[in-house]
Amino acid sequence: MRKFRIVLAGHGTLPAALLATTELICGPVADAAAVGLEPTESPDHYTESLRDAIGHDGRRVLVLCDLLGGTPFNVASAIARRSPRVVCISGASLAIALEAALADGDLDDALVERLLEVGRSGIVETERHRARRAS
Amino acid sequence: MSLRLVRIDDRLIHGQVVAGWLRALGAQRIVIVDDAAARDEFLREVLTLAAPSGVPVEVLDLVGGAARCIDLAASREPVIVLARSPRTVLALRQAGVPIEVVDLGGLGAGPGRRRLHRTISVSADELAELRELEQLGTRVEIRIVADDRPIALRSLDPAR
Repeated sequence: MRKFRIVLAGHGTLPAALLATTELICGPVADAAAVGLEPTESPDHYTESLRDAIGHDGRRVLVLCDLLGGTPFNVASAIARRSPRVVCISGASLAIALEAALADGDLDDALVERLLEVGRSGIVETERHRARRAS
Repeated sequence: MSLRLVRIDDRLIHGQVVAGWLRALGAQRIVIVDDAAARDEFLREVLTLAAPSGVPVEVLDLVGGAARCIDLAASREPVIVLARSPRTVLALRQAGVPIEVVDLGGLGAGPGRRRLHRTISVSADELAELRELEQLGTRVEIRIVADDRPIALRSLDPAR
């Protein structure tokens, strides 16, 4: 069983859609939330929404963000820098969200490394990927 | 030479800046002029984290920022300069930084603030500071993302 919470953070409806799509593939994802930044929303207001989603119960939380340098990432990384129980990853994809949703156990270094690797290795171009597979 | 563009955005670095403006300006460097951020090591670090790798972020106070901006304007290196408020940009201009265009990119709404356009609201003081910038020969435009057609402040300014 997964022992940490997942929060998807990003612009507009992307986080909610990413969560819904993750559930489409792997079934209901327990203990997960999506927090989208609205076009007119201030960073301060978004910080509050994200803090609420992360929760105040001292549990470990994985925040998956859509864009390096975007407000959701900036806010999440500021929280993560102050709070060691929060891990913030940018460049979230369906592949990373699935890996996290299906993870077992703790949010430890090994899992964080695995999530980063799943994200990177899921980015391919067909021809180059084919050539590499063939060699 | 002048700085091509100084952007006023109360969010400083965020998605519109990293995804659009860096490319539009061909900038490989971000300079933030903000007294509060310059004093706060944590804030400086978070701002540095927000930039793509390979794009250095300099967070400077007003005095250091003015000197740096004068050098950068002379060097012609494409750079994006960010400030949180019109007051900071006016102070840069008064300190001798040549600025061609000030871009209003994000100024949040709030009590006592008048909405000029979409996500751009200003207080009476800020409006006066922007008008002063115009009098000093700097164009003031609203352009939230780089693909937007710039809207001159003059065309929206209620007093004109």
